[in-house]
Amino acid sequence: MTGPTPLLATEHLAKRFGGVIATDDVSVTVEAGDLQCIIGPNGAGKSTLFSLLCGIQHPDAGRILFKGEDITRLPPFARVRKGLGLTFQTNRSFVELDVSQNLAIPMAAMRAARGAEAEERYRYAQDLFGLAEDDPTPVRELAHDRRQWLEMLMVLAGGPELLLLDEPTAGMSPDETSQTAKVLHHLNATGLTIIVVEHDIAFVREVARRVTVLHQGRVFADGALDEIAGRQDVRDIYLGRA
Amino acid sequence: MGFFRLITGEEDIGRGPFFWGVFLLLVATFFAIPAFLTEFEAYNISFYLLNIPMALGLCLLWGYCGVLSFGQVAYFGIAGYVYGIIAGNMVGHPFGPLIGSLGGLAAAALIAGIFGYFVFYARVQNWIVPILTLVLTLLLETFLGQTAGYQWRVGAVQLGGYNGMTGIPSFQLGPMVFFGFSFFYYVLILVLICYLACRMLVNARFGKVLLAIREDPLRTEMLGYDIRFRQWLTFVLAAVLAGISGLLYVQWGNYITPTQVGLLQAALPVIWVAVGGREKLFAVLVATYALNWLNYTLASQGNQYALVIIGALLVIVMVFFPRGIIVTVADWLRQRRRQAA
Repeated sequence: MTGPTPLLATEHLAKRFGGVIATDDVSVTVEAGDLQCIIGPNGAGKSTLFSLLCGIQHPDAGRILFKGEDITRLPPFARVRKGLGLTFQTNRSFVELDVSQNLAIPMAAMRAARGAEAEERYRYAQDLFGLAEDDPTPVRELAHDRRQWLEMLMVLAGGPELLLLDEPTAGMSPDETSQTAKVLHHLNATGLTIIVVEHDIAFVREVARRVTVLHQGRVFADGALDEIAGRQDVRDIYLGRA
Repeated sequence: MGFFRLITGEEDIGRGPFFWGVFLLLVATFFAIPAFLTEFEAYNISFYLLNIPMALGLCLLWGYCGVLSFGQVAYFGIAGYVYGIIAGNMVGHPFGPLIGSLGGLAAAALIAGIFGYFVFYARVQNWIVPILTLVLTLLLETFLGQTAGYQWRVGAVQLGGYNGMTGIPSFQLGPMVFFGFSFFYYVLILVLICYLACRMLVNARFGKVLLAIREDPLRTEMLGYDIRFRQWLTFVLAAVLAGISGLLYVQWGNYITPTQVGLLQAALPVIWVAVGGREKLFAVLVATYALNWLNYTLASQGNQYALVIIGALLVIVMVFFPRGIIVTVADWLRQRRRQAA
C-alpha cells in the first residue's frame, strides 16, 4: 500500500555552479496542506532550491514531482499554470506600474484556472493587506512592507496550490510580520500548501508546522518544529560551529 | 474594453480632448495637402511618412517590450526585395503589386519568425539580441551585394548587386496605379492605420503584459505568462511593420539597393525612436517624421553632413533627454497641468 501522492517531492536534486555545490542530493516531500519552513544559514542552498522548484534554474541531477507529475524540464510559466506560485527574496513587484496594473496582470493570466477557494484566499489577503484592485498608487510610492504584500497578493491572484515564499517578512516591522503570519495561517487553514524560506526564527516558530534545515546544499534535518528547534546540532550550524 | 478606450488609453501620449483636437486638425491638414502643395512636394512628404511603421514597430519592441533590435531594416529590405521580385514578374497583372505586397510581408514575417524563434525560445537576453539582429541585416547586405551577376535573377527580375533592383512596379489595385497624390494618400492612410492599431495594441491587455515583460521578464513569467511567445510575437509584428515601410519605400522610389539594409540605415530607426522617446508611440511618430524631413532637407540642399548632424542630435538627446525629447516634454506638460489643478 502506498500513501496519497505528495503535492511536491524532490528526488536527489543536485545543482552546481562551477565548483560550488549549491544543492546536493536534496530529497524532500511536501504533503498537501503542509505549512513548511526551510531554514539554514546563508549559502545553505535555500533560494537555489526554490529556483529549481520553479524552473528558473535546471538541476544537474534529480527529479521534481508536482502532484505526481515530473515537472523537472517544464519552463517556469508552465509550472505556474500547474499551480506553483513564488514570491522572490528581493521584492519584484512592477515598480513602473501602479497597484491596479500589478494585480491585473496575474489575474488576466490565471483567472480561468482560479477556483472558488483560491478566490476566497485572494479576497481575504486583499482585505487584510488593504490593497484594492482599482488602487492607482504607483508601486514606487508604496512602503516596503506593502510592496511585499502586493507581490504576495499578485501570486495569490493566480490561484496557486503551492505557495513558495522566499523570506516574505524581510525588512518588516514586528506588527507587519505578525500580520503576514496571520494571513499565512488563514491561507493554510483553507487548504493552501505553503513553503517558506525564512531567516527570522521567531516567525518560523509562529507559522511553521514542519521545518527542513538545509546546510551546505544538503538536507541536514527535517521534522516537526519542536523536535528541530530542540536540536543542538541545528543551533550549532546557525552559530557556525558545524 | 471598448474601441474608444483602446484608442485613448493611458499607454500613449495624449488622452484628452485637446490632444485629439490637435491630432484631428493635423490629420485634416495632411489630407488637405494636395490643395496647397505640388505633387512633387506631396511625394517628398510620402517619403517622410513611409518610415513611420518601421519606427512604430521598433517602439513596440524596444520601448514597450524592452527588446532592442538593431536590424529592423533587414525586414524592410526583405519585404522590399520580395515585392520587387513578385511584382516585377507579374507586370501587367492588375493585382500583381498587391500579391507582391502580401508576399513581401509574409517573407518578412517568416524570416523574423524563424530568427525570433531561435532568439527568444533560447532565452537570449539583453545586449546579445541587438548584436544578433544587426548581424542578420549585415549578412543580408553582404549577400545582396554580391548578386550583381546575370545569374542572380528570379524570373525576369535582376537582383542587381550594389547597383540595386530597378524598375520595381508602383503599387496598383486593379486599374488604379498609385503615384503622386494618390500614392501620398495611400501612405498617409496606411501610416494612420498602423499608428492607431499600435495604440490599441498597447492599451489592450497584451500591451500591459509587454510593459510587465519590459520591467521584469522573470516576474512576468512567474505569474503564468509564456514570455518567449509574447516577445516572439512582438518581434514578428515589428518585422511586419518594418516590412510595410520597405514596401512603401520600393513603391515610392521604384528601386532598392543593399545599402538599405546596411549599417548606416540600420542605425537610423534606433535614432528616430530614441530621439522621440521609445516609451511612447506618438513621440516616435512625430520624431520619425521630423528627422526624416530634416535628413532629406539637409541632404537635398547638398549638405554632405546630414547624417553627422542627425548623429550629433542623437548624442545631445541622449545626454540631456535620455527618455527622448517628446516624452520628456510631454511629462513636463503633464506635471505642470497636475500642479495647476
